[in-house]
This record gives sequence, structure tokens and C-alpha cells, in this order.
Amino acid sequence: MNLIEALEISRKPVAQDAKLLRIFLACGFTPLHLQNFLTAHLRQLCPEHRIEIKTGLFGDLAGSLERLDANGLDGLAVALEWSDLDSRLGIREMGGWKVSDVNEVVSSVDLQLSRLQRALTTAARSVTAVLSLPAIPLPPLFYTPPNINSAEKTKLLLSLAKFAADLSEEIGIRIVDSQALDAISPPSARFDIKSEILSGFPYKLPHASTLAQSMASLLQARSPKKGLITDLDDTLWSGILGEVGIEGINWSLEHHSHIHGLYQQFLASLASAGVLVGVASKNDAALVQQAFDRKDLLLKKDKVFPFEVHWHRKSDSVQRILKSWNIGPEAVIFIDDSPMEAAEVKAAFPTMECLVFKKDDYQSVWDLLVNLRASFGKTAISKEDAIRLESLRSAAPLLDALGQDGNASDEFLKRADAFVSFDFTKRPKDSRAFELVNKTNQFNLNGKRFSESEWTKFLAEPASFLVTVTYQDKYGPLGKIAVLLGKVHEKKLHVAAWVMSCRAFSRRIEHHSLKRLFEKFDADEAVFDFRLTERNGPTQDFFLELAGEPPQPGLKISRTLFLEKAPPLFHRVEET
Amino acid sequence: MSELDDRLTRCFASVFPALVPDQIHRASVESVPNWDSLAAVTLIAVLEEEFNTPIDLMEMPELTSYHAVRDYLQKQIK
Repeated sequence: MNLIEALEISRKPVAQDAKLLRIFLACGFTPLHLQNFLTAHLRQLCPEHRIEIKTGLFGDLAGSLERLDANGLDGLAVALEWSDLDSRLGIREMGGWKVSDVNEVVSSVDLQLSRLQRALTTAARSVTAVLSLPAIPLPPLFYTPPNINSAEKTKLLLSLAKFAADLSEEIGIRIVDSQALDAISPPSARFDIKSEILSGFPYKLPHASTLAQSMASLLQARSPKKGLITDLDDTLWSGILGEVGIEGINWSLEHHSHIHGLYQQFLASLASAGVLVGVASKNDAALVQQAFDRKDLLLKKDKVFPFEVHWHRKSDSVQRILKSWNIGPEAVIFIDDSPMEAAEVKAAFPTMECLVFKKDDYQSVWDLLVNLRASFGKTAISKEDAIRLESLRSAAPLLDALGQDGNASDEFLKRADAFVSFDFTKRPKDSRAFELVNKTNQFNLNGKRFSESEWTKFLAEPASFLVTVTYQDKYGPLGKIAVLLGKVHEKKLHVAAWVMSCRAFSRRIEHHSLKRLFEKFDADEAVFDFRLTERNGPTQDFFLELAGEPPQPGLKISRTLFLEKAPPLFHRVEET
Repeated sequence: MSELDDRLTRCFASVFPALVPDQIHRASVESVPNWDSLAAVTLIAVLEEEFNTPIDLMEMPELTSYHAVRDYLQKQIK
């Protein structure tokens, strides 16, 4: 994007009632074109929003952050440069580059980093903060030649690395990865000395655009994909299992098939981070099971679910896997070495990303792995990530027990030994509750998404409530699977958001959640901020069953009606 | 209108979106209230990028109207 395009995009008209996205851009230099590019990239990511970017004081990044009132902001973008850590590391002030000065700079940088860390940590309690580390090179102030490592420079880099490592552990802070930035904006082509001296803006325009794009994408991070379906022959391993047998398939350096081993290692890594991995292979099922018994396979059998191994169409396998996972095709990536198979699946599921594993093109496989990490990467691993696969595997008997109407029988549920836990504590930093409320699941009251500031503000209201629901039965734990958000006024509940993980369907958890809500607040009636969405069919069915008619915005359900219509509930209940 | 005018008009419109083309062609520091130092720096950056030519910031005090900018660019890109 060049500057003229950025200005044109930024100034495209938005609707009168467009939602405002308020961002604070903190930098010690003149924000100038970085502000224009950030506005434009955010407009591209959120075309329906009006973008408002406020900035701090020139030359006082730490002060701008310390004075910041993060309430009411939707995001904080911080572009840190060396001169913010000590003005002698910039070129606009003449503080001195003598050998003795350099030693003093190193210790003053540590102090300034501590100050910035405190300010950022405080701000990140209220708003998502995105930080870019110094992107322009250090000036030639060290006594060593530029091609020889200097102890002082290394100490500066070490201090910066520690600062970044500490902040990376904070939930509300996302740091622009320096290597990823280097790959798209060469370090040697970033610094514009003329612009820095004459206007106080240090970046060349292409770098300003790239940095703004990176920051915008972290401020408005998209949801990661959830599942990966892989082929086996010439993809997970080299060789055709049916032809070469169990010992004939390989993935090692000596067989020149190491790239398949790398792919296995990568899939095992994804699985360990809570990504669902399934297999769709035209193969002999018994042989595949034996192949997965090989001890040297890096992706273990228990990390894969389900296996769809037969000679039917791949799209049929994919359909069944999606049903087992209970997620939509848009959240899944399919990988096969055959372009024809990938095309067949793509034709059946146009919203699914279908990729070809080009085993003879190492660079292509490398790019594939990097792109897969971009699709599946997440900022933190939750408890639910760790148990997702197990809970899906254990739900298989429940799915088998479902009748034509998708409901399990009373008898089955009675024997499930189910346990539901309700937590009414309002914790704005409960990342799982926040993640759930922003999912576009099928059980979703209205599809409304909350920014972190809206979420924090809502929970701060005395009349508001937040219920998080945790479930387990004899088949295993599902973890935190539902969240309800609303307000209560004189025995009337106003439910603003209600989202339940699709893994928890058909267990009557939604019924028990509503029952518990009525009981907890001794409410006579619940008013729902219901809105029809393309995906919330199960929510519509739930309300249709209770109210006897399709739900409308402002839907009301009385406690009496609910108790009359609700099916028997067999869960043991706990409130924490 | 020449190709130079087309491109120059687009540059001015991106920095001063409230102006219609006719106002742009008559624009000057005096007639456009938003033409402050920040707008001037942005305009120079847009022009440098659009015409792929460096503009000496020492010339900035002279580039105070659409016509002045047009004349300057005509000489530069000849």
C-alpha cells in the first residue's frame, strides 16, 4: 500500500452509525505516515468501522503510556525505537557518543525499559496492546567497527530481549515478531535519515506501511483455524502403504524422505497445541492402524481423531470428520499430495482451505508449514486446548446415541454421570470466557462480538452478571464450554450474550444453564437479545422448543414456561 | 487536463479530501485552511511517491499552491 492509497482508504465514507474503533498510537517520533497507514490497514480489516487514532507527545513515549487512560480504547499500538530508551541512541539530540557515554547509555536503557514495562503492563489490563520493538538500526556510536560484535550493543539487545520476553507472557500484550517483520521489510531499507532529521519521522514509507499492517493485524487478530485433515501416502509418509508395506513407508534422512518427518513433527506440534488432526486416506484400514503402531512415527495414533480410511470419496471422509469434530469447513484445512483429491474436497466444501503437499518441492513444503502456523497459531494455550481431542473422542458414544432429532435419550443422559459447574464470578481477565463470547458458534444468541474494552466495561456495571459453565461426564471433561452475559433488574434477566461450544451440544447443558440462571437471581422472566444469524440454527431450535414459535429479537421466556417445557435434567450441579 | 494534472489532482485530493477538483486547481496555502505544516509534509511524501522523484524540503516554502507544485514537478520530471 502506498501513501496515496492509504489516505484514500482512510477517507472512504462510513455509515453514520458505524461503530467506532478507538486506537492509541504511542511512539516517541512524529506519528505522521505511520498513523495514516495504521488507519488505512485497520479500515481494510474492519471496513464497517470508523477508525479514530489518538497519539501521544513527541519524544515522550514512556510519559504518553503512563498518562494513558486505557478505558474506552479498543487498542493500543506502541512503536518503540531505540531513541525512546535513551535519546543518545537516536540522532536528533546530541547527547554524546563518547566511549564513556556508551557505557552510561547501557544502564539508562535498563531503567527506561523497566518504566515502559510497568506502563505497558498497566495499560494491558484494560486494553489489548500491540508492541513493535526497535525496527531501525542502532546508530554508529560503538567504538567497534560495525561488522564486529560490541559488548555494549549485545547488552542492549539482551536487555531488550528480556523486556520482550517478560511482556510476551502478559495476556493482553502482543509483540510484533521481529523475524517476521524482517522477512517482509528488509532492515536495511527502513531508516529514512532525511525524514528523521527534517520531520522527526524515521521510517521510509514502505516500512511504515508494513509495520502498520503488522500492528493492525495483531490488533484485530482473526480466529485461528481449528482442525487439519491430512492424507497419508506420500504426505504423512513417503511411499504407498498398500504397495510397499508397513516397513516400506519412510520419513528419514537416509531415505531422502525427511521432509515427511518434518511434516509429522509439525502435526504433532499442532496437536499438542489443541489443533484437531484427522486422517482422510484411501487405504486399507487395518494396514494404516499397523503403520500407526510404528514407534518411530512422530505423530502418534492417540493424537489423531478420527481416522477415515477406506476407498470412498475424500469429500465423504471430510464430511464425517467435520461431523465428529462438530465444526464448520471454514475452520479446517485439508492437505493431500494429489491436486485432484484437493480439488474434489474443495468442490464439496468451497469454504475449506485445501492445500497440496508437494513432496518433491522442499521450499513449497517449508512455506506450507509456515503458512499452517499462521493459520493455526494462537496467543495462549488454554486448559480446553489440552482436553479438546479427548473430549471429542469420548463424545463418540454420545453421537452414536443421538436419535434422528439429534437428541440423546433420557436413559443415555441419566447414565452419563454428568456434572455441571456454574461460576458466577465476574473476571474480566478470564481469557477463555472472553474467547467463547466472541466465537461465532452455532449456539450463539446473536453473533455479537465484544472488544476487550466493551467486555471490561460491561462487567464493571453493578447489575451485570457473567456465568461460565464447565462440564464433564463419565466420558471425560469438556472444560469451560459456555458463557452467559447479561444484566438483572428486579427479577427480570436481560441476556445480552450466550455462547456454547458445539462440543457440548445434546447434553441439555443449555437447559440447565437457563434453569440455574432463573434460580440464582430468583427471576420470573428472561429477555434475550436474540438475533438471527446465518449459523445460529441450534439456538433458534432451542428457543422454538421452549416458546413454540421461531424466536424474534427481544424474545421473552417466563420461568413458568421454561419449567413447563424443559426436558428432564440429570446433571449433578455445583456452583463455584 | 494533462496526465500530470490528473496525477497531481489525485495527490492533492488524498491530502485535502474536502476539496473538489476545481478548488484543487486553485488551491494555495492561503485558500486552504488545512494546509498546515503537517499537511505540507504529507503532500510532499505523496508527491515523491507518486512521481518517484525526491523533493528537496528546502523547496517547501516555495511550494505553496497547486500551480507552484505543478511548475516545480514539470521541471523535475522533464
